[in-house]
Amino acid sequence: MNRGWAWVVVVIAVLAVWIDIPKHQFSFPFDCPGICYRLGGQSTSIEIKTHLGLDLQGGTQLVLQLHPEKIPGGTTTNIDTLNQQTRIVIDRRINSLGVSEPVIEALGADKILLQLPGVSDLDQARKIATQQAFLEIKVPALDASGQVVSGQYVSLNPPLTGANLKPTFVEFQGSNNAPVVRFEFGSPDDARWVQLSKDFLQKPVQITLDGQQISAPVIQQVFTSGIGVISGNFTAASAKDLSTLLNSGALPVPLEIVQSSRVEPTLGLDSVHRSLVAGAIGLLLVALFMIAYYRLPGVIAVLALFFYTALTYAIFRLIPVTLTLAGIAGFILSIGMAVDANVLTFERVKEELRAGKTLRVALDEGRRRAFPSIFYSNAATILTALILFYFGTGTVKGFALTLMLGVIVSFFTAVFVTQMLLHGAIEYPSLRRRRLWGVEEKPTDGRGDGRTAAGATA
Amino acid sequence: MLFRFVERKFWYFLLSAVLIVPGVFFLAIGGLKLGIEFKGGTLLDLRFANPPAVAELHDVFAGLGHPEAVIQGAEGGRMEVRTLTLDTTEVTKTDQTLKAKYPTFIDDNASSVSPSFSAELVTNAIRSIVAASILIVLLIAFAFREFGFGAFRYGIAAIIALLHDALLVLGLFAILGYFFNVEVDSLFVTAVLTIIGFSVHDTIVVFDRIRENLHLNRGEALNPVINFSIMQTLARSVITSLTVVLTLLALYLFGGYSMRTFALALIVGIISGTYSSIFNASQIVSLWQEIEDRIRHRGGRGQSGARATA
Repeated sequence: MNRGWAWVVVVIAVLAVWIDIPKHQFSFPFDCPGICYRLGGQSTSIEIKTHLGLDLQGGTQLVLQLHPEKIPGGTTTNIDTLNQQTRIVIDRRINSLGVSEPVIEALGADKILLQLPGVSDLDQARKIATQQAFLEIKVPALDASGQVVSGQYVSLNPPLTGANLKPTFVEFQGSNNAPVVRFEFGSPDDARWVQLSKDFLQKPVQITLDGQQISAPVIQQVFTSGIGVISGNFTAASAKDLSTLLNSGALPVPLEIVQSSRVEPTLGLDSVHRSLVAGAIGLLLVALFMIAYYRLPGVIAVLALFFYTALTYAIFRLIPVTLTLAGIAGFILSIGMAVDANVLTFERVKEELRAGKTLRVALDEGRRRAFPSIFYSNAATILTALILFYFGTGTVKGFALTLMLGVIVSFFTAVFVTQMLLHGAIEYPSLRRRRLWGVEEKPTDGRGDGRTAAGATA
Repeated sequence: MLFRFVERKFWYFLLSAVLIVPGVFFLAIGGLKLGIEFKGGTLLDLRFANPPAVAELHDVFAGLGHPEAVIQGAEGGRMEVRTLTLDTTEVTKTDQTLKAKYPTFIDDNASSVSPSFSAELVTNAIRSIVAASILIVLLIAFAFREFGFGAFRYGIAAIIALLHDALLVLGLFAILGYFFNVEVDSLFVTAVLTIIGFSVHDTIVVFDRIRENLHLNRGEALNPVINFSIMQTLARSVITSLTVVLTLLALYLFGGYSMRTFALALIVGIISGTYSSIFNASQIVSLWQEIEDRIRHRGGRGQSGARATA
């Protein structure tokens, strides 16, 4: 393998380590949190950090089931469109709350996965996610003689809903500065609102949200525009919540929470800490074992293993892969598996050396003969990971993704980087002593080599 | 020095049976306890500085309208409470009640799954295991395609080996579930699938060696070739498992409570996977060949001895 490739590997290693270094604990030159560049007058900076899953940083997760069959009057909109519209509405609501890095994903056609890091109040999460926010103005029911039936309201035909509202805002009215929500109908509902004030002058109309009455004011005068106010027993906060809900729009379809979970941030942090310790100890144990058993190739395998760990972690930070507890387990497991390709190769190399081959030939033969095993066994693991990724949700997906990336990267490091280092090592005469490669100084015959007498030619 | 891996195959099959049968018994009597993910319900993981008595806590939940609550103490002042599915309002109410009643209540993790969703998760788990098995047979058949239809016997032997490992782990958890109420969740399904992947990984390495040796020793009988091949891959199989088990052991000992059952399932499965790849998988291929030869022999086609079908 030529020197050009060696430099490529070195550059990758340096880049990976640079990406891996936490950027927040230290003040770096140029004060840059990741990738920063300046083009003309514009400067861009992309922050590089490890994305922690909900189970590690704490927060709330909901799985929401869409119920299009519960839409009053039915619907002709297909489920994918409904799903997308619903996600847009929920996204707007969350944005106005200022939750950082929320996850809103479709989970199949009829479900939505919602993750709210940092939100620990399940009930608040439920309100954000499932409140329909369906505003409707109803008019009083009239008896045969045209008199108002007290306390009974009916929908207009077609119903006058909040579908055409312009952005609402909170106002303070009256002598006691009571908070109210001011709204304005857009065309053509503004004309209907004006008409309604003419038809029901001096009569009460009912303002409802999700079928519940908020207020039932009596119309005192004929309106001249689509503007109105909702007054109720609001506090400043509850008025703002209502305004936010109305501004985000109503959910197009009723939702049911089919799965909910909440993780406290302190418990999550504890898990991160423990998993990292476990990973470090695991890596150390494997490294010690490899060096003790394989000597020089063992040292090289350990170098490759650290390269592997640094590179995989860098890839996780770049993509970014959200690390969950299961994801860390997948990563730790892939460290163990990354060693396997090296073990396969080294065992082959030993066999070739024992059969009397020179180091260089033994290395090439070892790699060539170990390759099919490495390839097909990695393929089996990747296939399983793919299936886990396809069928799994949440935790399982995280595990599958880290395991899969880990196996792919380990394939690269074991087949490419280890080989390069091995070939590099035999350039030095002092490193060519057979004892360093774990075999006797004199080649033995093929007894341990295992080819039967009938066919001992290779 | 050759170890007689193939000749003693019935002893190895017997050992596997001895290990698997008790687990299968507890599986059959419903020992495997499904977690809330798979049967629906709510799991509250409460943390106290100074936990109250189980009976007392049960009264609190009965007072909240959940007399069905099952309460278990866990390490570190934690209490696990399982109930029917609580909605988010009920969870919030429970939190408030606990905070008011117990000054030493710190916080809790809450997880609810509705029964309809859990049924879907079970279907998904079963589907993924079936899909994985089918893909693996195809992969092995492809890897050993030069054997023609003979390739499928390798595929099927690998599947029997992976069923061996999956059954052993399922059985172990049925026993743990029966005696210690250990529950299985989607993380456990993940562990089983990983074990399947790993078991095949191990088996492929041995089979690949058999294939290579069949090429190098054309005309040689199958059984001696299998013996050599297992000998040659033995060091690798043991060392690889050892390194993986080392990392998993670290995960088990230091990885924290929630990782423990997961790590345990993987450790047992991977050791079993190594055993089955050394002592079962190739022996099944050998047995298959012997049976085939015997049938042919009776049929009078006059093939003597187990011949490699390379």
